[in-house]
Formats: sequence, C-alpha cells, structure tokens
Amino acid sequence: MFRFIPASGRRPGVTRPHLAIAAAVCALALAGCSGGGTGSQTSSQLSVQFPGPPISLDPAKAGNGGSAMFVSLAYDPLIFLSGSGDLAPDLATKWGFTDHANEVFELTLRSGVTFSDGSGLDATAAAASMNYFLHAGGGLVGNVGPVAKIEAVSPATVRITYKAPTPEAALTLTQYNGMGNLIGPKGLANPQSLLTSSDGTGQFIYDGAGSVADNRYVYKKNPHYFQPSAQHFDSAVVRVINNPNAVLSAAQTGQVQFASGSANTAAAAKQAGLKVETAPFFNWSLNLVDRQGAVSPALADVRVRQAIALAFDRPAIAKAMAGSYASGSDQVLLPGTDGYDSNIGYGYDVAKAKSLLAQAGFPNGFKLTILTESLLDVNNTYSQAIVDALGNIGIDATLHVQTTGIAQFVGDALSKKYAAIIFPTAGTTMSQLDSQITHGLFNPFGSADGQLDSIMQQAATADSAQARTAQYQQASRRLQELAWTVPIFATQSVYYTAAGLQNFQASVLNPNPMPVGPTADLSWRLK
Amino acid sequence: MGRLIFHRAAMSIPLLLIVSLIIFGLEAIVPGDAASTILGQNATPQSVAALRGQLGLNDPWVVRFGHWLGGALHGDLGTSIISGVDVTSSLNGRLAVTLSLLVPTILLSAVAGVALGFASAVRGGALGRFIDVVSLFGFALPSFWVALILVGFFAVHLNLLPATGYQDLAASPAGWLKSIILPVLALSLQGITYVAKQTRDTVMEVLETDYVKFLRANGVPERSVRYRHVLRNAAIPVVTSLGLVSVGMLSGAVFIENVFVLPGLGSLATQATLDHDIPVILGVGVFFTLCVIAINLLIDFAYGLLNPKVRVS
Repeated sequence: MFRFIPASGRRPGVTRPHLAIAAAVCALALAGCSGGGTGSQTSSQLSVQFPGPPISLDPAKAGNGGSAMFVSLAYDPLIFLSGSGDLAPDLATKWGFTDHANEVFELTLRSGVTFSDGSGLDATAAAASMNYFLHAGGGLVGNVGPVAKIEAVSPATVRITYKAPTPEAALTLTQYNGMGNLIGPKGLANPQSLLTSSDGTGQFIYDGAGSVADNRYVYKKNPHYFQPSAQHFDSAVVRVINNPNAVLSAAQTGQVQFASGSANTAAAAKQAGLKVETAPFFNWSLNLVDRQGAVSPALADVRVRQAIALAFDRPAIAKAMAGSYASGSDQVLLPGTDGYDSNIGYGYDVAKAKSLLAQAGFPNGFKLTILTESLLDVNNTYSQAIVDALGNIGIDATLHVQTTGIAQFVGDALSKKYAAIIFPTAGTTMSQLDSQITHGLFNPFGSADGQLDSIMQQAATADSAQARTAQYQQASRRLQELAWTVPIFATQSVYYTAAGLQNFQASVLNPNPMPVGPTADLSWRLK
Repeated sequence: MGRLIFHRAAMSIPLLLIVSLIIFGLEAIVPGDAASTILGQNATPQSVAALRGQLGLNDPWVVRFGHWLGGALHGDLGTSIISGVDVTSSLNGRLAVTLSLLVPTILLSAVAGVALGFASAVRGGALGRFIDVVSLFGFALPSFWVALILVGFFAVHLNLLPATGYQDLAASPAGWLKSIILPVLALSLQGITYVAKQTRDTVMEVLETDYVKFLRANGVPERSVRYRHVLRNAAIPVVTSLGLVSVGMLSGAVFIENVFVLPGLGSLATQATLDHDIPVILGVGVFFTLCVIAINLLIDFAYGLLNPKVRVS
C-alpha cells in the first residue's frame, strides 16, 4: 500500500513561521550592529582609496602621482606642493639658487623637527637621506634633475649642486619626486625596515602590523609632529580598491572619504551626494616616434606627421570619449600651465591633411601599426577613435594592444618595432614634458632637435619668470612644428570626496593632491 | 582509510611538482618582469638591468625554479620580490579570509542546494519548475555581477551591510559576520543552484526505481523511503557535483575577493600576477592545489561512507 505524506506532514520544526522569525531576528541583529557599513572606522580616522598597492613604502623607491599618498602620510617633503600648485614651506623654510646659472640650490631647514626614530632633523640627516635616494635604485631618480652633489654646508643648510641648469629644482623636491621626502637615520641604516614601519617626520607613522599588504595600509598619528594644528585625524587608512564599482560603493556608503573616480561612474556619485572634483591630467597623444622612418618610412617626412596632426576633430572625440570630463587638446601644455598659448594648435582640416600627404608622396595613405595598452585605455576606446580618425585621411592603421601591464608596454615601446605609440603625456611644466617627449617610450629611436634643445637651454637659464614663459611658448611652437607628439584630448582626473571633507583642492598644476600638508589649511579635515 | 590517505598523499607530490612547474613556465614566457614593475615606467634600462641582476632574474628559469624547489622542499616558499615579506607568512595571514569565504559558501551550497533540490523532486509541481528555472539563471549569472547587485541593494540602498572590506573574526564576530554575508551569498548562488539541480534530477531518478516502488509496496513509511533510502542513493552524484562546485569556488573566490576588496588568497594571487611576483604566485598555486587535493580526498571519504562497495574497492 502506498502512503504519501501530505503537505502538512512536514517536519514540525522547520515551518514557514519559524523561518520568517529566524530571518527577522537575523535582520534585526544585523541592523543592530550596522554602523553604515564602515566597520571599525572611527570618526577621527581618514579613510582614502587608491587603485593599487604602493610600488614601495621606502620613499626612495616609491611611486609618484597619486601613489605618493602612501609615503606622504608618514614623510614630509622639503617643499610642499599644494593642491592649487603653490609651493609652501615644509621641512625647508627657505630655498633658492645661489648662482645665476640655476645650478647651485640651497635650502634652509626647519628647526625643532624630529624623525619618528627620535633623532633631530639637521642638514647632515637631510643630505644623507637625499644621497640615499640617488643611489637606492628607485624609479623616480630620473625626475630630480642632473644632481652632481648634495652636501650639508651648515647645520641647517643643504646645498644641491646640479651638473646643468635646473630651474625647477624646487618642484623636484616636493612630495611627488621622492628625493625631498626625508628619511631618518635609523631608517637609512636599515632600509628594509621602511617596508614594515616608517621613519619620517610626517603627520602619521606607518603601522605595518595593523596593515594588510595590497589591501589596507594603516597609519597612526605621530605624537611628535612639528605642527600639531595641522593634524586633523588620529589615524589614516589607505584602502586599495581597483574595481570602479567597488570604489563607488565604498564612497557612497562612507567607507572612504576620498576616492579616485571615473567619467563612467561620476554621474552616479553625484546622485549619491558625493562631491565630484576634477583636474586635467592625462594629455592623450599619438606619439609619432619613428621620426627617421626606420619602421614606417612615411613618418620621416614632417609633412606626413603634420598631416596626421590635422586629422582629429578633437572636441568631438573628447566628448565622445568622456563627455564633460575631457576636452580637445591641441598642444603638449594644458591650459593653466606655464607656457600655454591659446593662439597655437593644429586644428582640424582633413583636406589640408590629404594635401600634405600627397605632397609627401603618399596620396593614398600608408599602413601604420600603432602600439597601445589596455590598462589606462581600458577597452581601447581612445585608441580606436584615434585609428578611425586616421582612416579619414587614408592611413590604414592597426592597433597592437599590450594587455599584460605598463612595464611590458614600455618594453614594447622601447623595442623600436613600433613607429607610433598611443600614450598620454602628464606634466605641469614644459621642462617635465620636454623631458618626457625626448626620453623613454616617447622617444625610443633617440630623435633630437637642436632648435628645441636650444630653446629649452635658454629657458633653463632665464633670469625671470616672464622670460622663461616666453621660452616655453617657443618650445611649444617648435614641438608643434615637429609633430613628434600629437596631442588629441585631455582627460580629467575625477575624485569623489565625502560631503564634509574640507581643504581638498586639485588643479591642473597639481592633479594629485595629498591629504596632509604643513599647515591646518593645507591638510584635509572632516567637518 | 589509511591506505587511501597515503595513496592520495603520494599522488599529490608529482601533482604539486607539475603544477608549480607549469606556473613557473607560464610566468617565464609572459612579457615583463618584477624589476620593471618595481621601478615603474620612468626607469632607465640600466636601472632595470641592474635590479634584474640583484633579483636573480637573469638566471635561466630552470635554475630559478631549482632554487625555489630546493627551498620549498625544506618548507621555505621564499619571500615576495615586491614586498620582501615571507610568502608563508603572507599565505597564513590571508588564509583566514579565504576560508571565511569558502567554508560558509560550500556549507551553504550543500545545505541549501540539497534541501531545495530534494524538496522540488519530492513535491514537484510549481516548486520543481521554479527550481529548474532558477537553477538555469543562477548557474548562468556571473558571481561578480550578482555581487554588484547585492552590494547595490544591501549596502548602498539599505545601508545594512558593508560594501567592501573584511573584519577579523577574533576582533569582532558581528563585524566578521557582516563582512562575509554578501560575498558568501554572491559566491554561493551558483553552487546552490547547481547542487539543487543535480539533487532534483538524481532524486527524481531514484524515486522511479523499482526498489523504491518495492519499499513503498511493503508499507515502509514514506519518510523512511525518502530520507533513508532515496536520499542516500542519490547522494553520490550530489557529492560529486558539490566537489566540482567547491573546486570552482576557488577560482570564483579570486573574483569575489576583488569585488569586495577582501584581503584573501585570491586577491593576493591577482596582485602577485600583475607584479610578476613569482614566489607569491607559486605559493598561492601550491596552496590552491593542496585545496583541490583535500577536496578530492573528502569526496572519496564521502563515497566510502555512502557506498560500502566503494569502501571495499
């Protein structure tokens, strides 16, 4: 005889009402211990997001740009670069060249400053730290100019002697270029210790024990900081979050008070009540690096390079790529930087471009393989737009996309296999940009132009700011004539900040502001 | 049982060797290296070459693998090229996070999947059709997409659970629970639906067998038929599917840890791969291989418990 258990014959212990009650209890328990989803964060903790882990926590081997945050929290620079781009006294209270050739630079150090190892700051300690930087093998050593010698000339004075004029020496000693971030004697004696603790003079001391590598970097307040009024937080955390949606969620729910955003999620961030801050940063460019025509003979002719420069409807491309978070760019300098001249630029003229190509002997265009990457140009939308525009003047361009990483991309760029490379320039001065454009992946074939070098040499030794600006404008014109690097559009760095975060400022002169500064007004605070 | 463990342990040695060799070989042929990563894009070729020399990256890969293997055989997995931290310490520090994700996920998949599958098989009707449809969708939906939906609703909209991050169990049990609920739900959806589907199909098949009809004909109580006989006979394919799901969850954890910013082994593996940090990559690879071996061993044990014939063989 078959016997079926009716629906009401379920085990009495697992009825629907029981499940509902259990679910309600769980929900109430969770709601009860819910604090906005911020975990252990306290009201006096600054929590910020960064997309990747630090290259190194040793200031001499660390990264620049926004990555400088990992170091800046624990190490003061000699000179502070504010969000507006102004230089402010930090560990150095005075600085300047002592000669007319801009080759001998002296800094007067602040008194009463101690490193977290307990030792005092003096010129000997500062010089030792800077010399360590020069020989530590870090990637930023190329950014600090041709240093010949660094020495302590008095207990409070450090002298840097350069091999060549270096008018922007002060800028190279800010928090972004490594050398100015001073390390204490004990840290220098054992550099390995800098990976698990810090030995700086900054507002915070790195807490290696409380940190989780590649995930969260914790900093505790430095009780011996020289300017206590600038310390607005008891602790700071840098959380490594690289997924754009996770970044937005963390900012929306208050888990971080500062996050790097993107044009794709900016509207949602605004809708969620976050402040969206922007600053122009990357100047996306087609770099025509094969100027001798070793790989692509056509590029040896300047008329071909100039034709290429005329092929882009820059405002339209910028709008299509990033809406209001990008703008067309006609020159290597961005508006607002020293030397920018609104009267120069390539413009958009397909007919003239075709005519130039015909004059150069390429009336039907030519084939061109362009190297690009997918870490900055995710999905290669920027690169594809550039290739499409080249098609309008008859150039049959194909992309070679390096997806493995920036380091591998640089390796490919330097291999001399590619005549053109899509990669943005980023710099706030003509000196920085000239250095980029004439070195490394922007110049793998080693092109040189005597006229450009001469202009930059004159700028380096200019005896007034106005004279230097004029030289920079001249350099910009010369770069336009050469058409080595063809700027197309500039994207903005997008940041999300909590509504109550104050003293945050980003600008074209400093698109990567730091949370800590030497005064109360230059340090971020929460209202 | 002892022989089985010994046999599996013996089999795992060549397996670990082969896996580590494949990882090392693959890493060797991928463009770029740790020296370029450490020095960044501004580095000069000279400084990259110098650092390569310091890190021993100029040695033939067979030599480098030999060095690593020598250390590994003595229990030393080396140190991270990037952070300088001992690899074993890194793995230990992140193990709790990954286990906090995987253990509840596997348990939830097993319990909820079997319960749903069994209920739909014996009750059929709308519930059965519902399980069929949900299984299809649940298995098709990528776990990271599910994660985004869960975060949007429970963290951003309701502000009930954290959107990202992990709390240590010892430091705050409530915080720990809150931090793993969404990741576990996101990762277990596929597991639950897959196990439910397998359970439903297998149980329905067993319910149609002659011996079940015979049991019923002899007046064996239906509860006994279902829970003592049908469930047990249907268990082996279900356990197999649970094993497959568990192995798949190891890779799913890599994505989920990245979406929820959990400092587990998956995110460690991702970052180490981007950095070309080969000692860490190998360490995680060895660990995940050991996990797969352990899961397979547990499945073998389960087979033995469920089917005496397997025990004898």
